Amino acid sequence: MTSHRRRPLLRSRSSAAPPLDDDDLLSEILLRLPPLPSSLPRASAVCKRWRCLAYNPAFSRRFRLHHRRNPPLLGYFRAGIPKLCFQPTMAAPNRVPPGRLSLKFNSYVRVLGRRHGLVLILEWPQLLVCDPVTGHQHRLAYPPEFDPDNSLINGAVLRSAAGAGDVHFQVVLVGSDYEKKLLACVYSSETGVWGTLISTPIPSGNSLCTRVCWEHAVLVGDSLYWILAGRFTVMRAEGGGLGLLSVSGFTAQIWKRKTDFDGVTSWGMGATVELDKRLSMDSEDYLDIEGYAEDNNLVFLWTGRSLFTVKLEPLQCNKLFDTNNRACYYPFEAVYATGT
Amino acid sequence: MATREAGKKMIMLKSPDGMEFEVEEAVAMESQTIRKMIEDDCADTAILIPNINSKILSRVIEYCNKHVPTTGATGAAASDTVAPAALAEDLKIWDAEFIKVNRATRFNLIQAASYLNIKGLLDLTSQTTIDTISDNSLEEIRSFLSTKNDYLPEEEQTIRRENQWAFQ
Repeated sequence: MTSHRRRPLLRSRSSAAPPLDDDDLLSEILLRLPPLPSSLPRASAVCKRWRCLAYNPAFSRRFRLHHRRNPPLLGYFRAGIPKLCFQPTMAAPNRVPPGRLSLKFNSYVRVLGRRHGLVLILEWPQLLVCDPVTGHQHRLAYPPEFDPDNSLINGAVLRSAAGAGDVHFQVVLVGSDYEKKLLACVYSSETGVWGTLISTPIPSGNSLCTRVCWEHAVLVGDSLYWILAGRFTVMRAEGGGLGLLSVSGFTAQIWKRKTDFDGVTSWGMGATVELDKRLSMDSEDYLDIEGYAEDNNLVFLWTGRSLFTVKLEPLQCNKLFDTNNRACYYPFEAVYATGT
Repeated sequence: MATREAGKKMIMLKSPDGMEFEVEEAVAMESQTIRKMIEDDCADTAILIPNINSKILSRVIEYCNKHVPTTGATGAAASDTVAPAALAEDLKIWDAEFIKVNRATRFNLIQAASYLNIKGLLDLTSQTTIDTISDNSLEEIRSFLSTKNDYLPEEEQTIRRENQWAFQ
C-alpha cells in the first residue's frame, strides 16, 4: 500500500457485550414491541434493567414516535358532566382501566377533535389540548377573530411532523361567521401563536350551520378534510387516499377519490357492504354513524339497539354493547407508553 | 484499497480476523457509518471494521448487496422495469430467508447493524427478535434471552399489581 493518507479505522466499541447487555441495543429491540398497552408494563416485569428502560421518558417518546402511524384503538371517550369518561374496547390484557385515561373538568366541555393521542377540548372560553396518556395539558386562548360565544366552530388537533419529536402539536380551528364565510386558523405550539386567518365564502345554497361545524375532520396526507354538506362522512380510503362513506338502510357505501395522470380528480364507487346480517339487524333497525377512528379506519355504528365498531376494508364487525340511547362516542387511538 | 472495476468504485472492508472483502462503494454506503467516512474523504483505502468477525461481516455485505438500489447494464434503475410493489415483495421474501439464523448470529447481526448504522438490517433483526418473544410468558422471555430475573418475589408482585390489567 503506497498511500500516505491516514488509514481509516472505525472506532472500536468499548464493549462487545451481547446486544441485550447493551442499553442502546436493548432499546432498539424493545422499541419494536407491538404498540399494545400491555407491552411495556409486561417488559418492565422481566428484570430491573428492562423496567428502567420501559419507564424512561426518552424511551417512551421514542416508542410513541416509532409506532405513531399505527396506534391501536384503545377505546372511546364519552362526554359526561363534568368529565370525559374513557371506556376500553380492547380485549385483555390490553384493557387500560377507565381511571387511567378519563379526564375531569370544572364545567361542561365539548370534544372538538382527537388525533395522534391528543384530545382537543373546548372548555369555554378556552381551548384545551390534553394528552390523556401522559396527563399533559396545554391551554390556549381563542384566536381573536373567533367569537367563543359562537357555537358554529369546530377544530382538529395533530402532532407536528416527526422531525419535531412528539412534543409539538398544531390546532386547526374552523367555523362560519354571519357574513357567510368559512374561517380557519392554525395554532402551532412551537411558536405559541395563531397564524393568519384564512377565510373563504360558503358556497351558495349552504347554510351557515354547515357540517364543518360539528363533523369530525379526516387527515389524509398533509391535508385535513371536513364535509361541508351532504349525506356523506369523510374517511380514509384503503391505500391512504380520501374516501367518503354513506350509510342508508342496512347498506354502507364507500367512495374513493381518484386522481388521473393530468391531476384531474374524480370520485369512484368503492365497496358496498350489506351490514344487516353482520350486525344482526332487524327491519326496525337503522344505521347511524356515531364516531370514526382515523388510523384504524373504523366507524362506530349504532343500529338503534346496539353499538358496533365496523372496519370496512376488510370487513370486521365487533359489538361493543346494547344501548337504546344515541350518544356521541369519541374513539381514542394512542400508543400507551408507561414513562411520561 | 480503493480500486475501479468495470467502472464501479470498489472499497475494501477488513474484519479483525484478517479477512478482506472488496465491495462496490454503493453497497458499502448502505452503512451510514461507512458512508460518512467516504463522504468525509477518509476511505480511499481499506477500512477496518472492528468487533465484527468475517462470518458476520460477509452476511452484512450480502444484505447490503441485496438492498442497494440496483442499476441495470443500461444504467436504468431496476425499479423502472420492475414494479416497485413486486420489488418490495421480493425483498420481503429474501429478508425472511436471510434472517433464518440461530440466535447468536442474529444478535451479532443486531450489533453489526447498529454499529454500521444500517437501518433496514437493524429493523429486520430487532423486529425478528421481538416477534419471537412477544407472545411468550415472562419466564420464557427470560429464558430465551438469557436474562436473569433480579426481582425479589415481593418486588415482582408489586410490579404486577401496579398494572394488574396488563397481566390478565
